[in-house]
Amino acid sequence: MFIARIDGTLTATVRHDTLQSCRFLVGQRLDADGVASGEPLVILDRMGARRGSIVIVSTDGDIPRKLLGNTCPARLTVLGLVDEIHKGGQAPTPAAAPQGRQEAQP
Amino acid sequence: MRLGYVRGTVVLSVAAPALRGSKLLVVEPVTMENLAARNGKGGGKSLVVASQLSPAQGQLIGISEGREAANPYHPKDTPVDAYCALIVDTYDI
Repeated sequence: MFIARIDGTLTATVRHDTLQSCRFLVGQRLDADGVASGEPLVILDRMGARRGSIVIVSTDGDIPRKLLGNTCPARLTVLGLVDEIHKGGQAPTPAAAPQGRQEAQP
Repeated sequence: MRLGYVRGTVVLSVAAPALRGSKLLVVEPVTMENLAARNGKGGGKSLVVASQLSPAQGQLIGISEGREAANPYHPKDTPVDAYCALIVDTYDI
């Protein structure tokens, strides 16, 4: 499991049969300082995460397999939306508020 | 799932029987900078990806990696650890 920031959405007409009902997000893993690091990841979402949402992502392929069938190749799923993060006695850091479509960069 | 650009295909005359029926693609994973810049560049280390969807050269695909990449071959045991799960139409970041 790791914390990630959602940067946007992705559409794909041609996809594996088990993924036909899925919504795809593009996100990046966050490091301990809350800085986005690493490669863009495609994450399955059932929780309604949006651009700017901070989420917890599971890398367990059993979740999509149980939900979508034994032949599902996906691994990354959103487990929940983060409200705030507490670190080492500091005041909690509120997670960034999700941005609406109007506020999005062109 | 990572994202990557299809750069080519691999053809084998001698191969593990389990690989029959899958096309093997050479895929270059894309970095966040290149994805955001929409410049068609990858930037990651190339890998071979099994595919049953036949994407064209230059198309952006989703690469499922790890044990789950072999799930589409269930219940057959297949030594595949990277699988093309989708072909990207559009993205919005």
